[in-house]
Amino acid sequence: MAITKTTLRKKRRFFKHRKACRFCTDSSLKIDYKDANLLQHFLTERGKIVPRRITGNCAKHQRELTVAIKRARQMALLPYTTVTPI
Amino acid sequence: MYQRKYEVFFIVDPDLPDSDLKSLETRLNEIVSREGGIVLSYNSWGKKKLAYPVKKRSRGHYFLMEFAGGQSIPGELERNLKIDERVLKFITVKLDNRYEPGKDESKQAPPQASYDEATTTEKPSEMTAQEEQESE
Repeated sequence: MAITKTTLRKKRRFFKHRKACRFCTDSSLKIDYKDANLLQHFLTERGKIVPRRITGNCAKHQRELTVAIKRARQMALLPYTTVTPI
Repeated sequence: MYQRKYEVFFIVDPDLPDSDLKSLETRLNEIVSREGGIVLSYNSWGKKKLAYPVKKRSRGHYFLMEFAGGQSIPGELERNLKIDERVLKFITVKLDNRYEPGKDESKQAPPQASYDEATTTEKPSEMTAQEEQESE
């Protein structure tokens, strides 16, 4: 039993691969708080900001992105939460 | 003293008649020019569904104004927008610390209409139905 467990763990580690930052690979992509369609990709279904360990963004662009998302929320382009308040 | 470049993005009550929208535009233009600034662009982004209700309205008419001028303008402009009841929400962003009239590239046109339609068709409310009747 123990052997199978360790092999599973090894396999999982093997499949880990690094994602590239979308904004670094495509310089024509600009982070803009008015572009709700683009920002939507970095939100969960509940409207939370997806962490960069999942999206693969670089630190610099993730910082810009969070500011843009928060501005878009202020302007009601993006939701703060999808659980609608009464 | 260098002029700075700013933009104001604001939401207006969607049910306003065109005359009110015109008067709002001229008023904002006046404020900027009174403080010694220049209005670079003033565009309507169309009516969109809001992500959450603002002042009990589920839709809003978005506008984007770009201008260049001194540091006193954003404060004065925001003070006026706060007073104005037709404006639901606004945000001012500094685009550049130095505005040079020669090198600024022309801003692209407001977003395509298809996006606007897509958001409205998501949840057809009574308001959209009314507008369709009016347009016919």
